[in-house]
Amino acid sequence: MVKRYTSMAYKNADDMIFGTAVHPVKAELGLEVGAGYVTAEVNYAPRPEAGVSKEKLVSEYRKLTTDILARAVQIGFPAVSLETEHVEQMTNNPTWGGEIAHVQKTILEEYHEEYGIKCGLRHTPGDIREDRDLLALIGKKYDTLMESFEAVADGGADFLSIETMGGKEVFDYAVLRNDVPGMIYSIGCLGGMDMEMIWTDITKIAKKKNRISAGDTDCAQANTAMFVGGGLLDKNLAHTLAILARVIAGSRTLVGYESGAVGPGKDCGYENTIIKAITGCPIAQEGKTATCAHADVMGNLTMQCCDLWSNESVEYHGEFGGTSVQCWSQTLNMDAALMNTAIQTGNAKMLRDLMCLSDKYRDPQGYVLAYDNAFKVGQAIVKDGNDLYLRAKNAVVETIKILEASKKEGKLLMSRFEQNALADAKASIDALTNEKDTFMSDSLAKYKAEVKVFRPEANYKW
Amino acid sequence: MDIDPSKILVRYNVQKEKAQSPDQMAAEMFPKAEPARTIAKAIYDGEEDEVIEGLEKAIGKGADAIKLIDDVLMPGMKIVTDLYDQGVIFLPNVMMAADAMLEGIEYCKESSGSAPKPKGVVVCHVAEGDVHDIGKTIVAALLRADGYKVVDLGRDVPVDEVIAAVKKESPMMLTGTALMTTTMYAFKEINDRLLESGIHIPFQCGGGAVNQDFVASYQLGIYGEEAADAPKMANAILAGKGLAQLKDMFHKH
Ligand code: B12
Repeated sequence: MVKRYTSMAYKNADDMIFGTAVHPVKAELGLEVGAGYVTAEVNYAPRPEAGVSKEKLVSEYRKLTTDILARAVQIGFPAVSLETEHVEQMTNNPTWGGEIAHVQKTILEEYHEEYGIKCGLRHTPGDIREDRDLLALIGKKYDTLMESFEAVADGGADFLSIETMGGKEVFDYAVLRNDVPGMIYSIGCLGGMDMEMIWTDITKIAKKKNRISAGDTDCAQANTAMFVGGGLLDKNLAHTLAILARVIAGSRTLVGYESGAVGPGKDCGYENTIIKAITGCPIAQEGKTATCAHADVMGNLTMQCCDLWSNESVEYHGEFGGTSVQCWSQTLNMDAALMNTAIQTGNAKMLRDLMCLSDKYRDPQGYVLAYDNAFKVGQAIVKDGNDLYLRAKNAVVETIKILEASKKEGKLLMSRFEQNALADAKASIDALTNEKDTFMSDSLAKYKAEVKVFRPEANYKW
Repeated sequence: MDIDPSKILVRYNVQKEKAQSPDQMAAEMFPKAEPARTIAKAIYDGEEDEVIEGLEKAIGKGADAIKLIDDVLMPGMKIVTDLYDQGVIFLPNVMMAADAMLEGIEYCKESSGSAPKPKGVVVCHVAEGDVHDIGKTIVAALLRADGYKVVDLGRDVPVDEVIAAVKKESPMMLTGTALMTTTMYAFKEINDRLLESGIHIPFQCGGGAVNQDFVASYQLGIYGEEAADAPKMANAILAGKGLAQLKDMFHKH
């Protein structure tokens, strides 16, 4: 049995700050995360042509890793962390990922030895558990995935992560139909069940290999909602619903920590401020520095409580200022230097609030993820921490309350459309049962009938 | 610490919102006569039970089930897609309305024992190696909502399968979605294989990774920026537009 969170790691929202976590995490080469300073976490993707063979891929990662470290010492950065998000071949062939981790770690060791620069390495195998149109969460692909984790841990990856997809088959259906109970079922319940299975096993591997079980992100669902939502003028999903998917993801991503993960949480988990408030574990975040990978409506706010600061992903290629990884790692590290200066001069809370406020009223998503409100969502989750359904529902109820209450203050302007979507969501939530078993069996029947690709028996441990 | 956000950011969506609410605008567009009015409203609301109920009544009173599809269900759905095109309503409303309308079509087919002729057949797919299928799902839904029969091959579809499906279904057009720079090259291969087989149907391609310059580099390719461009292109093909004219319509630079 996993240990559920029923209380908050922080007493007050105001205690939360970038660079410091209640439970810092230590990597092999001197890097500590959440121990009083912020570090850049550089992300990259190989060029498409590099994917044709193992040799080409290994060589691509060797070059880009060297590029990043070379730039870091040229500009004088005290620390840097790298994240390798696998392309599918690296996970499906566990030895590929393992060898790449080894090559990268060897370079980090050389720089650490020569210059004393503190280094970390995260590997994120791809969630390969699918078969064309069907999820295949349990079975042969799961076993291959676990082998991949073993291989990258052996290769030297400090932090083990993944972006899992449990519940996605139902979520994809629900999100295009404004179906908030369906989001609770897919993200909160199905996602939670899958997270418990996989993170228990990843944690076992991490313990056995003396590595760090770092954490997940609800990229597959909450980020899908955020992107379907798009910009202010897009018409595919109300942003008031996108933030409901996000707060449900808070409950879901938490399960990783309940199953043994200790952070740093994954960069694209915009639910991570909620996670940090509950668990006290360090988190990676991305924002304005991830415009190379996607566009969203908060660029500064996500820095508010980060411990690693990331650029999500950039293809390895040349720019005027060096290779893409050098340019972006420099930007990240400069942001880190600014935050670390604020910490040292006693201005961290001031900087945090400036960053937060610059985005807080841009959009309902940023408003709810602002650390004061994210903290309240965390409290709503732990109130019924033992019940995956109720706590996800609580997160939704609290978020609706936060957004409703914002109207009095009048700073967050919501379109009539966003308000109507919120009102409809409220009506559908008010009509929901408080009994997990009833909700689960009703939802099972409903989505089995409506979603062709939903195969509950094959994919979840009931 | 607090701020006056109006000096820092602009909520253009709030600023641009129409004075009339979507419901008011839709109400003005519903047909005046019954049962079309009630059924159109039920489609707009995405209430499939009410759609069926309305159809049941109409058929009970002697209406021709297949004629109801063309005269009532399709025009009802068009109100919804028009409002979406104008930026008045959001996608989930379209999806729910389409679900309701499609149920209505099924009901009419069952009660008449015959099937209506679709406007045309379209094959949709996501490129091999790519699982990002939400854009494709939207494309397929909007095409169905506009009266086309969609053969949805799903995601991560091998080139061979796309070619086989095109040969089997003889569609009026093919769509492809790719969100990864690594997967979109399959479109070129599909283009070449179609040409080898002497098939010259328009091949509309879209999705996050895809851009007009890439799509314009192969003969059958026409770039689709948004999902709503798919039914627009299908309608243009029905209106007799050829490849060159379609490129004129959909290529912006
Ligand atoms: C959601 C998402 C996912 C979800 C997908 C869920 C799903 N069912 O689709 C999940 C989590 C599964 C996922 C997985 C992965 N993802 Co992903 N994902 C995204 C994300 C965040 C949003 C995509 C999305 O759904 N957008 C919303 C939809 C509605 O947009 P759309 O498909 O473009 O469609 C619109 C238009 O383009 C148009 N359209 C689309 N098709 C067509 C066709 C026609 C004919 C027409 C007219 C119009 C049209 O209509 C739509 C609306 O108008 C993007 C980020 C980004 N910047 O796009 C990354 C992104 C696409 N993913 C990426 C990556 C790398 C991956 C993974 C490899 C990650 C990993 N390491 O595991 C895997 C891929 C596995 C695989 N083999 O495919 C990269 C791709 C980089 C690249 N190489 O180009 C991106 C760009 C993120 C990034 N910056 O790194 N991902």
